[in-house]
Amino acid sequence: MLSRVAESFFWLGRNVERAEAVARVLDVNYSRAMELSARRPARAERLWHSVMECAGFAGPASSIEGRTASECLRHCAFDPKNPSSIVSTVRIARANALGIRSELTMEVWETINVLYLHVERQNARGVAREGPSKFLRRVRDWMQSVGGIADSTMTHGDGWHFLQTGRFLERAYMTARIVEAVDMSLEGWRESQRLLEMCCASVPFVQASHRSPEALDAVQFIALSADFPRSLRFCVREMDSAMHRISGNPEGTFGSPAERRLGRLRAVFDFTSIDEIATAGVRTFASNVRRELELLSHDVEHAYFPRLAVAALGA
Amino acid sequence: MLELRPPERPAANLDEMFEADGSPRPPYAALAATLDGLEFDEIESHVQSINTALLRRGVTFTVYADEAGTERVFPFDVIPRILTANEWSGIERGIEQRVLALNAFLRDVYHEQRILREGRIPRDVVYSSKHFCREMIGVDVALDAYVHVAGIDLIRDPNGKFLVLEDNCRTPSGISYVLENRDALKRGFPALFRDYAVRAVDDYPTRLLGVLRAIAPAGNEEPQIVVLTPGIYNSAYFEHTLLARRMGVELVEGRDLLVADNVVYLRTTRGLRKVDVIYRRIDDDYLDPLYFQHDSVLGVTGLMNAYRAGNVALANAVGTGVADDKAVYRFVPDMIRFYLDEEPLLENVPTYDCTIDAQRRHVLDHLDELVVKNANASGGYGMLMGPFATSEERNAFRRQIEDSPRDFIAQPLVELSSSPTLIDGVLKPRRVDLRPFALFATKVEVPPAALTRVALREGSLVVNSSQGGGSKDTWVLQG
Repeated sequence: MLSRVAESFFWLGRNVERAEAVARVLDVNYSRAMELSARRPARAERLWHSVMECAGFAGPASSIEGRTASECLRHCAFDPKNPSSIVSTVRIARANALGIRSELTMEVWETINVLYLHVERQNARGVAREGPSKFLRRVRDWMQSVGGIADSTMTHGDGWHFLQTGRFLERAYMTARIVEAVDMSLEGWRESQRLLEMCCASVPFVQASHRSPEALDAVQFIALSADFPRSLRFCVREMDSAMHRISGNPEGTFGSPAERRLGRLRAVFDFTSIDEIATAGVRTFASNVRRELELLSHDVEHAYFPRLAVAALGA
Repeated sequence: MLELRPPERPAANLDEMFEADGSPRPPYAALAATLDGLEFDEIESHVQSINTALLRRGVTFTVYADEAGTERVFPFDVIPRILTANEWSGIERGIEQRVLALNAFLRDVYHEQRILREGRIPRDVVYSSKHFCREMIGVDVALDAYVHVAGIDLIRDPNGKFLVLEDNCRTPSGISYVLENRDALKRGFPALFRDYAVRAVDDYPTRLLGVLRAIAPAGNEEPQIVVLTPGIYNSAYFEHTLLARRMGVELVEGRDLLVADNVVYLRTTRGLRKVDVIYRRIDDDYLDPLYFQHDSVLGVTGLMNAYRAGNVALANAVGTGVADDKAVYRFVPDMIRFYLDEEPLLENVPTYDCTIDAQRRHVLDHLDELVVKNANASGGYGMLMGPFATSEERNAFRRQIEDSPRDFIAQPLVELSSSPTLIDGVLKPRRVDLRPFALFATKVEVPPAALTRVALREGSLVVNSSQGGGSKDTWVLQG
């Protein structure tokens, strides 16, 4: 596979997953904010603050205080200067897809292109007026269907594995950011429930545990579940296996810094208990995971998309 | 009811669908009957769904004059253009003959130059051509094939005769519209096909792949073939992706390739992989910064050396532009006589050569009747439509012709044929041309996949997409 093509698959996967996550986080919180009492504005402000923290990528905390729902929507969904906004991620996803059009199936391309054409026609004011849920769910649904359509129409070769690597890396990254942004010391059940919803996990959680979530139960499920497809553990395992399918090295061994880092992360999630996470602090644990994933992204780029110089080649 | 209105008579040109008395020509009779039975709303909803499908699929081209990267759907008219088996076989034979002669000419001017030594074409005309490539002199190419893909533009005069308007021997585009138009029309308007047996177009990519495999350097059973594109901002990028995907080969940009020891490699996630054949959709000028445009970032440094060493095949060959230079065009009938010892089956449009004093004087005296074309331009740019031009425009061309006569040719205005086209719910006659594609490695193939371009503006005679042109599905009927 061409390095450029592999790189586009990787970033296509990351941006598809990020657009989906940002849309989902906004939608969940819009829905929650509607039930908050207007007499307690501090709670709504705290809610939007946490949304900006996990979906807004807004830099120092001071700059994101005092946000309102509509400012949050504009920044996280429609600001073209914010590289994580829905409009930016959809544009970047589409630009990457365009560069590898001949490698994509027509079905995958069309799904991305149709969403792109739709998003380009929207603006913050119009979406806010008709209630943002319709727009946000559309983005979420279409981006989720990219994954399903790619799965069922593309050959599961190297391109597919790079797409998977990008998707699961971003999914784990967003999960880590969401855990980091939720203040588990607050409001017990309500906040745990919000955390689960932002990770698409409320029904899977209750099906697996048959009880209402205490804070640590929710974190345990989201971080350590072996079978839930958005848990950190699940994502790391999928990435590890995709990387090994690309390199041909047996799982459990490594041939590159990316594979070594993944092996270590995999061991952390396979053999860490929730008590150990609680002792370290949930927020600290989540931010360590996020930093590891940032380094992992550099490792993947370095191993497979290097800017080769002619002189370095002994052809 | 859809208004099926034959063009107003008397018209100066021929209509593809209607006789002079307003009745449909025999091949169009069934189509006219089908259209007659449709309500306007039905047709409009077919048109809408086809346009939506084309936009969703991204069947677009990029408009350079607009802000960077504006994508538009190439306007598509649902009324097909029909060619009978008989008409097509005449075109097929004429194109085959012409492409053989053009190819023989290229082999000759880059080797023995017999046609120049025997004085059949003035040496100056060839050597002054912007696209004559001195680096190709003495270079042997696989199978002596230069023009692997040609697009020969034909127009139909008022007597119904097809004439060659120009040859495209470099990187002719448009085949993707042929494939997509057919697909869109079959899906969106199946009723039209009911009474017809139309020859399929969808094997074009397979045929092209066959040509590319045939020219691979010897010794490799499974040659590595790639399509080289200038990138996503090129106006024909959609076509490059379609051909690569349908042939099952990699679509690459210049930065994906590198040359070491005169061998071309792909940069892959598993290291370097040798490349054998490049179907390049980049002009000669941008292929290799060592030889051509030094500041080109689209090309591949060292590619020409690898090519000249015979380690990689390029389609089309380098230097084919001398054969479709507009100043060389008027000699193509002579090429056919010289190399094939045959009379041309398809005629040229009469052409004045501005380097010949008497002809230039005639051109300058008749600027208000003639079409003047820049010898090196394409895409409908750099052209003067004398009868429709202002006196300022004519004077500007007069000065340019006097300054550099080699750069201009002139032709009488040909009243090209029209075809009924859906404009705001009414069928109106609009001018059309025809671009059949020819493929060549060991023999010339002319797949029944031709592009009909249509000038959508009323009265316009210019069909190029950059000048407000659209396209139609072109039906070659089974014999």
